[in-house]
Amino acid sequence: MTLDPAVEAPARKQRAKTDKRRKAPAGSTAIRRLPPRRHLANLAGAIMVSALVLYVSFFGAGPLPALGPGFNPTTGAWTMAADAQVTDRTISVAAFGGGLQQPVKVVLEQDGTAHITASTDHDLFFATGYVHAKFRLFQMDLERRQGEGRISEILGKAALDSDRFELQLGLLRTAWAEWNALAQGDPVRDALTAYSQGVNARIVEAEATNQLDPLFTLQGYKPAAWRPVDSLVIKGDLTQTLNFTDTPLLMAQLNKSLGADLTSEWFPVLPPNQQSPYDPGPYPPATTAPIASMRAVTDAEAQSAAALYQKLAALPSGLIATGGASNNWAVAGAKSVSGGAMMAGDPHLHLTLPAIWFQMTQDSPGFHVSGVSIPGTPGVLIGHNQHIAWSLTDAQNQQTFFYEEKQDAAHPNQYMWNGAWQTFKTVSYDIPVLHGQTQHLTVKLTVHGPVISDRGITTSVWWAGNLPSQDLRVLFHIGQASNFKEFRDALREWYSPTHNFVYADDRGNIGLISAGYFPLVAKGSQPWLPMPGTGEYDVTGTIPYDNIPQAYDPPSNILWSANQRQVTKDYPYYIGTAANFFDPGYRANEIHRVLSQPGKLSANDMMALQTDTRDFLASEIVPVLVQSLAGEKLNGKESAALNLLKSWDYRMETSSPAASVWAYFWPWYMAETFDPWWKSRAVPVDRVESGSATATTSLDDTLGQDLETWTLNDPANRAFTAPGIGSRTAQDAQRAAFHKVIAQMARDLGAAPSSWSYGRVHQRTLENLAQVSGLNYGPRAERGDGNTPLAAGGYPSTHGPSWRMVVDWGAHTFQGIYPGGQSENPASTWYTDRVETWWQGQLKPMLTADEATNAGDARTWTLQP
Amino acid sequence: MLLTGIVIALVGVLLGAWWTPFVAGVALGLVVRRPIVAIPLGAISGFFAWMLPLAGQEVRYGLGPTSLSLAEIMGFGHAGSLPVILTLAVGTLLGLTGAWLACAARMLVPEPR
Repeated sequence: MTLDPAVEAPARKQRAKTDKRRKAPAGSTAIRRLPPRRHLANLAGAIMVSALVLYVSFFGAGPLPALGPGFNPTTGAWTMAADAQVTDRTISVAAFGGGLQQPVKVVLEQDGTAHITASTDHDLFFATGYVHAKFRLFQMDLERRQGEGRISEILGKAALDSDRFELQLGLLRTAWAEWNALAQGDPVRDALTAYSQGVNARIVEAEATNQLDPLFTLQGYKPAAWRPVDSLVIKGDLTQTLNFTDTPLLMAQLNKSLGADLTSEWFPVLPPNQQSPYDPGPYPPATTAPIASMRAVTDAEAQSAAALYQKLAALPSGLIATGGASNNWAVAGAKSVSGGAMMAGDPHLHLTLPAIWFQMTQDSPGFHVSGVSIPGTPGVLIGHNQHIAWSLTDAQNQQTFFYEEKQDAAHPNQYMWNGAWQTFKTVSYDIPVLHGQTQHLTVKLTVHGPVISDRGITTSVWWAGNLPSQDLRVLFHIGQASNFKEFRDALREWYSPTHNFVYADDRGNIGLISAGYFPLVAKGSQPWLPMPGTGEYDVTGTIPYDNIPQAYDPPSNILWSANQRQVTKDYPYYIGTAANFFDPGYRANEIHRVLSQPGKLSANDMMALQTDTRDFLASEIVPVLVQSLAGEKLNGKESAALNLLKSWDYRMETSSPAASVWAYFWPWYMAETFDPWWKSRAVPVDRVESGSATATTSLDDTLGQDLETWTLNDPANRAFTAPGIGSRTAQDAQRAAFHKVIAQMARDLGAAPSSWSYGRVHQRTLENLAQVSGLNYGPRAERGDGNTPLAAGGYPSTHGPSWRMVVDWGAHTFQGIYPGGQSENPASTWYTDRVETWWQGQLKPMLTADEATNAGDARTWTLQP
Repeated sequence: MLLTGIVIALVGVLLGAWWTPFVAGVALGLVVRRPIVAIPLGAISGFFAWMLPLAGQEVRYGLGPTSLSLAEIMGFGHAGSLPVILTLAVGTLLGLTGAWLACAARMLVPEPR
């Protein structure tokens, strides 16, 4: 080595001396020409170190990305600093692929809300695509990859199960079918095409100016050109998250372990508790048979269901709908302070950074809408136009049915249907895998839908989300509607996911309609379990549009939905069981309680109700618990905790220690009642999330309705007398649970019950979409729980109000907020700038384009053809 | 010589060729006879070729939030200085290894007598 000068100079002198002393023998010239060994070693060292540095720079190593392109100060991840600066600009899109017909003006408010004003509808959607991609390109790319089964291409084999499942389920096939159904000249086709052109213009620009999101740069890939079908896949992603359920698989396992009798009793079709349906009837006569009692599941069926359930359970969260939570309501002009109709909506979704929503207004000859859009799709999903406002909640009806396909060794690659052997159709995919071999996948298709499990009984799935539908056309028509008839007519073509669309207009009218498919199955079917696929139990149609749950200008002057069952027990159609997965109804009950109080309501009242923390279930159960503990021998901590409950207003506020006692008590009361059954019957499905003392699951949502009902009306129910426990009542179970809870809380939170503030127990986190935990917001102490209108279920809570909106047509005020910010760039001030306003329960005015232009600190872009 | 090396490497980096400091280092290693001089020169040229654009961005946009974000993305927690150090280390190592490799190769060639 020659790096050390202190060694180098003496060494050279020594070599010279040695050479002089050494007399070279004859014939040794060739040997002397060989380089000294240390030079060779030096070169070898240089080559190795250089190779190492260059390899890591070019390709990365382990957790390190390719350091050269990744950290190059002029083209690497550091350019996110420049990307975070948003200034007035004139952008000539011709340099980036063109596609624009006329100049378009984009005004960006101080918080990044985009106001797009275009001379043609084509240009409006082009600019929407450009703006979405400017602020959310990585999110858009990730979500299309999710639905198209291409995550492995960037993350490696860890994502293979997810990719395989998505390709089996078929979002991409459905998207292509929808695209191919659009004729040339169809406005929806034109919109999707223009949107794609806009996205691609931004991709070309970002690459030319080295401003791709750093996650592209650091992961070493570039986004492919956007295709219209990508937008349709993203629409499918949302449908899947909201409406693809595995409940029949769950029910099959419960049926086998708990027994058909207890399963049908504890997981009934109709909810056992008192709820507040928004459509109380009267209803038109049924055209289907009444619901049958539950049949027994065979061993083979249970084993197949368990295998498929485990497969689905292992998928990343969000692919399977595990429960819903959203609120919306409307107040007619007759009950509002302003005299105009009012509407409020807050869809509850996974709270991510960046958020699922992007706020914007769209103005063109055909559209004047304001609200929130989903990056990757060209329309506004929730918002208002000049005459109507709308929002939505998930309707929760069953849209997923599993079919057990009958097969025979004598008929390979065939299944029995309608008395004849049918050959599986197949479709093949190649899944590229980062640092791995491309995987080949063949998907079998039946008349019911794709086969998603070959383990045990071959199981296929019928899912309404797989039916091609033109939801975008519906959204466009909603955006152009000016009265309830046009709104309702537009929704006639909405198939999946079924949503409760709330409506309020500028003439004081309100409405609510649960638009979408309500599949009907044949007489005698048991759709809450996997069904035979031989043809007798197929989906035969849907509830006629005029018969689906809906209401318009009711005498009460109020309408509300919070994922509760929309109709009473008198509704003549099967729409799903209590476990699939209608909300227990506590939020709806609380909203109904507040809205139905005497007096008129204002927009501020709407805003306050959106952040209402009163737990309706607690208001029912805690008085009973207090009564049950009367006369019970309690220690000091237990007495103090009981006193906290006695003076509690049932509000889940962060400062409330009583709220903590309740948050602990209810799951422990559930455990006290049901765990002995789970243990004695060896139920294979977890009732409670592992490692959590307080979390409940969607299964518990259903069991909770039972426990609520028994506690209030049937305290001697046999459920309390579990195997090995002996004869007990609800009061006995409450007392036992209370003693255990207080002991546990003392261990977790200290000896003084007055210090057990709920904020110590319950936090909320907004999770980075790329799962970079350091870019999360929180965890931060948060009020509310899964039963309060301010939805905050979970510990920490990661779901909740993803967008809050209040419209008052009388005062002509439009307000909204979502947690997060318009930009996905974490170095941007628009990454989390809206969080604090949202956290405080405040809203921000939804400005028009003109108001935004005149507001301070707006930036203006001009897109030139 | 140093200035020339920096300019060559810097221009390359500004044009997006992040590996230019390595090439500049090789050139320095071939031109400068003494490794004890050539190798530090290569390292310095690489350092400045990556540092100057970074400093330019700091002046224009401020790199605080960006550095913190990169630290979080890379799993360094709130250590916002680490991405800066890593970035400068990459530039420096590219220049250093380029010069070292050239010096080592040149030493195998007999010097003319």
